[in-house]
Amino acid sequence: MMNSSTLLEINNLSVSYPLAKQEDGDDAVDFFALKNISITVNAGQIVGVVGESGAGKSTIGKAILGLLDPRAVVNSGQILMQNKDLLASTESALETLRGRQIGYIYQNPMTALNPVLTIGEQVIEAIEANTDMAGAKAKAYAIKLLQQADVSMAEDRLSKYPHQLSGGLCQRIVFAIAIAAKPQLIIADEPTTALDVTVQKSVLETLLKLSRRNNVAVILITHDMGVVAEMCEYLYVLRHGQHVEQAPTATLINHPKHAYSQALMASVPRIEKRIERFVLPQAEQATIANAALEYLLDKQVDTDVAEVPVLEVKRLAKIFTTPASLFKPKQDFCAVKDVSFQVHKGETVGIVGESGSGKSTIGRLILGLHEITEGQVIYRGQNLATLTDPKDRRDLCLSMQCIFQDPYSSLNPRMTAGENITYGLKVHGLIGAHQAKRLAQDLMQLVGLQPLDSDKMPNAFSGGERQRIGIARALGYKPDFIFCDEPTSALDVSVQAELLNLLKDLQQQLDLTLLFVSHDLAVIRQMCDRVIVMKDGEALEQGDNDAIFEQPQHPYTKQLLSSMPRLTQLQ
Amino acid sequence: MPMSTIKRMSNILWHQYKTIFAHYPLALMGLVGVGLFILVALLAPWIAPQNPYDLMTLDIMDGLLPPMSKLGTGTTAWLGTDAVGRDILSTVMYGLRISLFVAFSAVIVGTILGVLLGLLAALKGGWVETIIMRAVDLKVSFPGILLALMLLAIFGTGVDKVIYALIIGTWASKARLTRSSALSEMQKEYIDAARLAGLANWRIMLRFLLPNSIAPVLVMLPMSLSGAIGAEATLSFLGVGVPITEPSLGLLIANGNDYLLSGKWWISIVPGLVLVTLVLCINVVADRIREHNNPFLQPRG
Repeated sequence: MMNSSTLLEINNLSVSYPLAKQEDGDDAVDFFALKNISITVNAGQIVGVVGESGAGKSTIGKAILGLLDPRAVVNSGQILMQNKDLLASTESALETLRGRQIGYIYQNPMTALNPVLTIGEQVIEAIEANTDMAGAKAKAYAIKLLQQADVSMAEDRLSKYPHQLSGGLCQRIVFAIAIAAKPQLIIADEPTTALDVTVQKSVLETLLKLSRRNNVAVILITHDMGVVAEMCEYLYVLRHGQHVEQAPTATLINHPKHAYSQALMASVPRIEKRIERFVLPQAEQATIANAALEYLLDKQVDTDVAEVPVLEVKRLAKIFTTPASLFKPKQDFCAVKDVSFQVHKGETVGIVGESGSGKSTIGRLILGLHEITEGQVIYRGQNLATLTDPKDRRDLCLSMQCIFQDPYSSLNPRMTAGENITYGLKVHGLIGAHQAKRLAQDLMQLVGLQPLDSDKMPNAFSGGERQRIGIARALGYKPDFIFCDEPTSALDVSVQAELLNLLKDLQQQLDLTLLFVSHDLAVIRQMCDRVIVMKDGEALEQGDNDAIFEQPQHPYTKQLLSSMPRLTQLQ
Repeated sequence: MPMSTIKRMSNILWHQYKTIFAHYPLALMGLVGVGLFILVALLAPWIAPQNPYDLMTLDIMDGLLPPMSKLGTGTTAWLGTDAVGRDILSTVMYGLRISLFVAFSAVIVGTILGVLLGLLAALKGGWVETIIMRAVDLKVSFPGILLALMLLAIFGTGVDKVIYALIIGTWASKARLTRSSALSEMQKEYIDAARLAGLANWRIMLRFLLPNSIAPVLVMLPMSLSGAIGAEATLSFLGVGVPITEPSLGLLIANGNDYLLSGKWWISIVPGLVLVTLVLCINVVADRIREHNNPFLQPRG
């Protein structure tokens, strides 16, 4: 259903950042954040701009508002809003435009609001600045706006400060500020990326409702294909600042034409059905005969009996205590409550839950990075807490490794990639110093990196590559059990798919046992044999992958599953 | 250390030097100045016209001569002489030696001590951290000079005693700075990875924490160096610092203090000017390094 009235038209927009001249005489080529981008938005239409990091999505939003970095250069193009070129407008003309005709919604609501002003002061300030209402009238209107944005107890909230409200509520208040002057266009830059999935669903519903009711057009900038599938009528796909494909949402998601869009869609983990591997165009099978594979398969005597679970967690609990201070008595916070489960050899068990559910804490308790308050962790039939022989203990501990969440902080920045991988092995004398370099190279090759890059420092690698180095480091200890703590949450979706494929391959080749923590139900669906659903430190439901995703029993599991944006709802 | 590492390190240093000083003539002048002062201090026994502490070469008849006078030995005292006939140029060269030696050793030892204690506090936590950090609080609650005076009253005077007093003045701020940056490094996952690798605490401290949290201390280093030079000069001027047999710049200034009003200005002014210039050179360099490391202070280009 095309609306004939065009609200905003971007024609051939190019934005670049001049790079500093290199001293070595190489002429630096300017970095193009956007290259010949054209976008059309009709009145009341919700348009999605999708792409991975570095695609230039946010630059579009900033260019429309005239808020580009001072160093940015607009090389060509027009931004026509109702036939007026915004790029040619004066700063004061743009100022009246911002807030009145165009509203902006930020990625992180907690930082978008001023922490030292109350909600009321901030909403009323926006009303007084952009409309001719003032005083009591503005206050009454503020309450009405908050109600429109589905803020419960709107009147009470006016006297609250941002830190007293949840992230979801803060985002609704940002919505209220954005629609205060009844703008014709809202630019929403990753509006739900910082929110949990259940909150995301209701926040998106509010945005949809506001757009429909006031006939406001929305440019939704996001990397999340599920979100655009639920929200947008029309999509633009960007990559490295260049236009890739544009089409109505259903067409683009179900029948992408461009190779990049096809790869992007294939990378998105689906929740409906479990597949063996992600089908990627550059499908490198990691089964190259490799010296590292021999090293890894040559384990010490394999005492494991199939009947004994590799890992058994019994009634595990963790209480964090904030020590008493002058003004507050000591406070207990129960992060994990009475959780029990087993992990058998060669299987992947997933723990899924929203932020604060205690899922990462469980892993840290198992690995011994936190002290256990109550309960037991039995690993390969031994209780680590009561094991006294230092050598047994060391060997057992080293065979449990971890793949961390943040690839940018999980490697020592002052060691080369190879040194990061082999440092601990050398210290323990598990390999000789002269073998270390060779082993680092072999392991790098095994995880799909260039062996000779082992001499580079971590900052020479991308996020996905660093995560591979982290995997290589964990593998070096010939682990039986690996705890994966949201290993792909910081990565782009195509990189995520490659990494998840790699993990699956390695698991098969090395018979690894994985405990996989994630907030992303779709990733859990694709990776895990069994699933544990957690909320507020409690394990609400455990079961086989298919059972949890197809016949969830617990109401919270059902709620989680229904909150998950799905690509198939389009048909 | 393999050749490649040395080469990489020197590449990094050269690159750092270029980015910090290349387009800042004032800072570069400061750096050259510091270099010259250090060179003069090192070479003093060979380039000074006279050994001012060899009593055999001194002649009381040459006392209190103004600059450019001829001495009894036939050489020219370019900057005059003091009451016992010592050539001021030579005393300043030798004084620079003492001043720089005291300041460098105090800052180096104090920094190493402070950094190690700061790392230990961050890594261990608990009562270890409490003791170290309360000691830091105790130290910084005294004015620096008062503390040094008290310590010297206890230790007695001497070059080594001044160094001890200055070490005690230096370590605390380094410990505090290192701890705060080490604490934020402790939150990062590579420390957890090191723990999972079963590494001993001292290895985590030296190979993981130290290289990643040392930067702010290094940036502060030139500043504390000029601070230590100034503090030593103050103590020596007050007469509780280095002994008269090994006079530093501060003691030389004190020596000429009595003659200032009788028109014999050169005895105090010359070492005074050298001290000011030295501290100024170091501070210009220190400012530039600080500016380079703090993006908020960087001039908009």
